[in-house]
Amino acid sequence: MIFHGAVPESKLNGGSRMSGKSPNIKIKTKNLNLHYGTFHALGDVTMDIKERSITAIIGPSGCGKSTLLRVFNRMNDLIPSCRITGDVLLDGDSVYDKSTDVVELRKKVGMVFQKPNIFPMSIYDNIAIGPRRHGISRKSRLNEIVERSLTRVALWDEMKDSLNRPGLELPAGAQQRLCIARAVAVEPDVILMDESCSALDPESTMKVEELMLSLAEKYTIIIVTHNMEQARRVSDMSAFMMLNENRVGSLHEYGPTIELFTNPQSKVTEDYITGRFG
Amino acid sequence: MKFIAILLLAVLLCSCGPGTRSAVVVAGSTSVQPYAEVLAEEYAKRYPGRDVDIQGGGSSAGIRAAQSGTADIGMSSRGLSGDELQMWSAEIARDGLAMIVHPNNALDSLTPEEVRAVYTGRVTNWGELGGPEGRIHVITREEGSGTRGAFEDMLMEGQMITLKAIVQNTNGSVRQLVSNDASSIGFISLGLVDDTVKALQLDGVEATGENVTNGSYMLFRPFIFVSEGEPDGSVMQFIEFTMSPEGQAILAGEGLVSSGEVARR
Amino acid sequence: MKNGFKDKLSERVFLALALSSISAIALITVFIVIQGAPIIGKVGLRDFIFGMTWAPSQGKFGIFPMIIGSLSVTLGAVVLGVPVGICGAVFLAEFAPAAVRNLFRPAIQLLAGIPSVVYGFWGLIFIVPFIRDNLGGPGLSILAGSIVLAIMILPTIITISEVQILALPRQYKEGALALGMTHWQAIYSVQLPAAKSGIVAAVVLGIGRAMGETMAVIMVLGNAPGIPTSILDPVRTLTTNIGIEMGYAAGDHRQALFATGIVLFVIIMILNITAQFITRKK
Repeated sequence: MIFHGAVPESKLNGGSRMSGKSPNIKIKTKNLNLHYGTFHALGDVTMDIKERSITAIIGPSGCGKSTLLRVFNRMNDLIPSCRITGDVLLDGDSVYDKSTDVVELRKKVGMVFQKPNIFPMSIYDNIAIGPRRHGISRKSRLNEIVERSLTRVALWDEMKDSLNRPGLELPAGAQQRLCIARAVAVEPDVILMDESCSALDPESTMKVEELMLSLAEKYTIIIVTHNMEQARRVSDMSAFMMLNENRVGSLHEYGPTIELFTNPQSKVTEDYITGRFG
Repeated sequence: MKFIAILLLAVLLCSCGPGTRSAVVVAGSTSVQPYAEVLAEEYAKRYPGRDVDIQGGGSSAGIRAAQSGTADIGMSSRGLSGDELQMWSAEIARDGLAMIVHPNNALDSLTPEEVRAVYTGRVTNWGELGGPEGRIHVITREEGSGTRGAFEDMLMEGQMITLKAIVQNTNGSVRQLVSNDASSIGFISLGLVDDTVKALQLDGVEATGENVTNGSYMLFRPFIFVSEGEPDGSVMQFIEFTMSPEGQAILAGEGLVSSGEVARR
Repeated sequence: MKNGFKDKLSERVFLALALSSISAIALITVFIVIQGAPIIGKVGLRDFIFGMTWAPSQGKFGIFPMIIGSLSVTLGAVVLGVPVGICGAVFLAEFAPAAVRNLFRPAIQLLAGIPSVVYGFWGLIFIVPFIRDNLGGPGLSILAGSIVLAIMILPTIITISEVQILALPRQYKEGALALGMTHWQAIYSVQLPAAKSGIVAAVVLGIGRAMGETMAVIMVLGNAPGIPTSILDPVRTLTTNIGIEMGYAAGDHRQALFATGIVLFVIIMILNITAQFITRKK
């Protein structure tokens, strides 16, 4: 595993975001191993993810990128055979500790999926459903949240008059942004994005990327992407994963995006990011 | 294939052959019908080749059929009246009805008027009949049933059975319900009364076969065979079988009571 | 050439078989209408449907009490059976460990295969005395019928609803959980609404079964052709009206039973059309 020493300046007015101090570590993994039954999916992943930045996880298909992402909000819990060892810390607290409330964890760590998974209900309800389930029932408060969340994903002006329309009627790009708004409505600290642009057209992709950059002012964002250009455009840090000699998904090279893309330390990384395999 | 062909041929030969005898046709009351069918079945077993064809249609239709000669024997489950009395007739049996209640019911006897009041829905509480307070669960048979018809003919005097009454479509289920429900009352064929239920006295007369035969228990109807003129030949043979101790035993086995009378003109 | 001929032949055969089944249904319909229509003409549609008195021996043919009976018993079955059925489906689809699921699924299928007369008998032996002893009345009642029918429609509702829930894209559940919902919240606020049309279809099928059931309810309803005033009253449904009186009915009475069949037929048609409309509208 190769680590780059320098901490990069953020792409977007990074100075003010980090307020001069060295950035805080939001998520930390140490010797993380994950098995599905007898299948060893992730091996010894050790990485620090900085607060209010965008971290891109890249690498060839089947190397465990999505699995790693789903470690952070414990979405892998849904698979009964999944077993995890090692440390995963969010704000210094163990994510996999027995005392950790998964529901609370997922409120803090939101997720946007590969395909827009709008619920079969109105635009308004899609956004309000999270806060509602978390105990907010006052109409005015919900209205406020819906407006704020949609504003944040730049959909408010477009949708304020059609909040009661079914969300599924929207085009895919708008659906994905709605999914982001839905995640934002719960006010998480971290947003995980699992190849969230792969189903979108270039124009929608651009909008979502802009959105990522603006959201990074407030949230810690971790994306999985197959798109090298996207990783280069939006991320502060890049983590290159691939199967190691034992065919176990592992972190191969991790560092500031600029360095990883301009000066990869490993030949394999270079080959991958220049499109020679993958 | 070959087998079927032979079978067809055999049927053809039988039906057209010189040995053809037309079956005795018996038609009329649907109440008598099931008993007549049992008789006919046993009769055919005893005397192979003598066929009796039983049809329904109702008492009046059966009597008319006998008058017109469409049927050899008419079956009636009501007494004869008017010109019907001119016909040759035989009371083959009596069908007694018993009013039944739960064995624990405090009452032993009701008058016909009281039964009528219960079945029209005018009286709905056992208290009004001298028993302990409690709603009466009235059970009746379905429309079209011969037993219900008999009950209506003999007791209801043209009044309607309450629509609130529980309806069951077999004697057995009426008895079953009454044996389980302490507040219920029902009626079934006398021959089907057993110790799971209590048969009420009517006007103080016990519901027994003897009392039906001697006429002191009023809740019965006659089952009558009628014929236009003195029957003879195969028709008379069937009637004689019916009236024989053997035939009477069959009817008693099915729950009917002997009429204690013999064939009369 | 030869294959083409074979294809054509099998196509014809299937067409013929399909047509024969359709024509069988058409024939039954025509037969029922021919048998039942005259009495409706004689009594008048209004008086037949809204008439309060059923007394064929006195020439009174009003089936309104039976319509009320069918509706009340079916409603009762839905109120009792649907929540239990949906919960059962959710349990099997979402909570049950594989071992439990493998035990329950065939058990539920078996439940669907039990003849209805057995349900009726069970109701008569257990439910009816229980109601009579604990709630009063004769026991034979709307409530008894509703309980028996609720159990009878359970397999339909559980099986279809479970399939619907399992068929949902995984993303719905994951999306809901990712928002920090509990498993239960994900089920009732996202998964069940998403499976709604299928569950509605299951409920309508259940209603159809409840409406059409005869044998089981004949034994536990009491079959009184009066308007019920409480759920502990005996009642007669359209189906049991036919079932209980068909044996000895003749003439107008017989026609009136066929006419009852026509009304039942129309009600079930309306139900199915409504169901299709609901599922399509979604």
